[in-house]
Amino acid sequence: MAEIIAALDEAGANTLLDTAISLIPLQSDSGSGSLGPFVASYAVSASLTNGDVDLIPPDIIRIDDLRVDWDINFSFGIDLSTILPDFCLPQVCINIPCVGRVCTPKICIDWPTISIPVHFADFIKADADFRLDISLVGGVWKVQAVIVGIPNLQFGATTAALLAAIGLAVTPILLAIPFIGPFLALAVNAILLAIGIAGLAGFLGPILTPFVSGIKIPIYDQPQLFPVLPAQSAVDPQVDIVIDAIAASVAHNGAEDELVLTADISA
Amino acid sequence: MSLTEAEAVFASVHETALNDLITAFCTDRPRYLVYGSPSFVPVTTVAETAMPGIPFPGIPGGINWRIRLGVPRIDLFKQTDPLPPELVLGPGQFSGRLDAELCIDCRKIRIDPKPPRPNSPTYGDNPNNPDKPRDTHPIAELTCFKLQVFLIGHLEHVMASNGEDAIALAVDQVEIVDIKPTDLESFLECLLFMILQAVLAEIRLPLRALRAGAFQLVPTVGPLIEDDQIKMRGTL
Repeated sequence: MAEIIAALDEAGANTLLDTAISLIPLQSDSGSGSLGPFVASYAVSASLTNGDVDLIPPDIIRIDDLRVDWDINFSFGIDLSTILPDFCLPQVCINIPCVGRVCTPKICIDWPTISIPVHFADFIKADADFRLDISLVGGVWKVQAVIVGIPNLQFGATTAALLAAIGLAVTPILLAIPFIGPFLALAVNAILLAIGIAGLAGFLGPILTPFVSGIKIPIYDQPQLFPVLPAQSAVDPQVDIVIDAIAASVAHNGAEDELVLTADISA
Repeated sequence: MSLTEAEAVFASVHETALNDLITAFCTDRPRYLVYGSPSFVPVTTVAETAMPGIPFPGIPGGINWRIRLGVPRIDLFKQTDPLPPELVLGPGQFSGRLDAELCIDCRKIRIDPKPPRPNSPTYGDNPNNPDKPRDTHPIAELTCFKLQVFLIGHLEHVMASNGEDAIALAVDQVEIVDIKPTDLESFLECLLFMILQAVLAEIRLPLRALRAGAFQLVPTVGPLIEDDQIKMRGTL
């Protein structure tokens, strides 16, 4: 029999994980990725919010609707010549008496390459299983809930909203280009079509998945030389015990599933 | 039956771990088990606690004494360790067993050199008196005896010295076995009852330590003694 037993019911585990997940600091990353046919550089940050905890014996903590709030700034460059038709003012010739035939040169518009910055923030939810992991490293006992596998992130309506955001971001930039007027709608549609829903999912997935796939939620973190009482004076030094062993499990006790930690100690 | 029952959090500590905690306290702060007056313990240190001598007229500095207690071994209900028949361990109680050594500094007293009155009880002690009785004591002699003490008690929910929720061991009854005459046994039991109440009340173990720091627990049920354990239930 374990010397020390501590247990939480599912409601308690929910409260514990609410706190533990909220204490995970904001994570951020930057880099570049494929946005459809374009290459976008990005800076992204993400934070996590606990969902609903389901304890599953013998060692799984399932969190339904684990929420990832993310905020991304990205920009990508487009050579408009690749999506818009060449636009030329044709040569015009007129006969001028005493002068002869005069022609204007043919003038072709060289569509520029533009950079489109986009800011977007949203959240996704995922269902994830976590397995209890116990370690003693550097004299510290840790029990963590470590995510099992890589959850499938469902972006859903997020992608449509992000496409709309890209459309909004690109329009004022295009409006500043001479002669673009007749081609504005064509250019916007061409850009959005080129990116597409699949392009956005392919862009966001690899960026946001690491924020979820690497989650370790701290459950227990105590020094092996555990302080019972702090030093209070020269004649009352600190009192310590040694935590010799820690175990963690999900147990089905009676009608409840409980998160159970056990410890053995010595003086 | 679940561990948490109707609460969100449960914690228990088995009597073996409780004894480890008490041993740790007594090992790191041994002065809580050793008390003595100046000829034994001139100053309080980590190892010993200095106390005044017992004042008595004619004894300079009073009667010097020392008590040295062993680390108590606690047995939580249900009973595991044997007890003398006078003690019965009931539900919610703990029993304890420890050694106690009591000493006094038995000294020959230098009497007042002023001429004694003939009817003074110290008349015969005048070293100038040719009728002085034979000296049966050396100048100073350490006189000690050891006892094994059994006790019964219950838990009290208290605050530790650092303000944390804690438990303390409250002594209800003390028993010393086979001392005659019976009145002497009763006297010593009462003396040790008072001493052990005071000593054990100072060994305050934080609830945080009783659960090795696992989870938070604001107790709503307990701490109570059941099944050789101290159990607590409550909220996060």
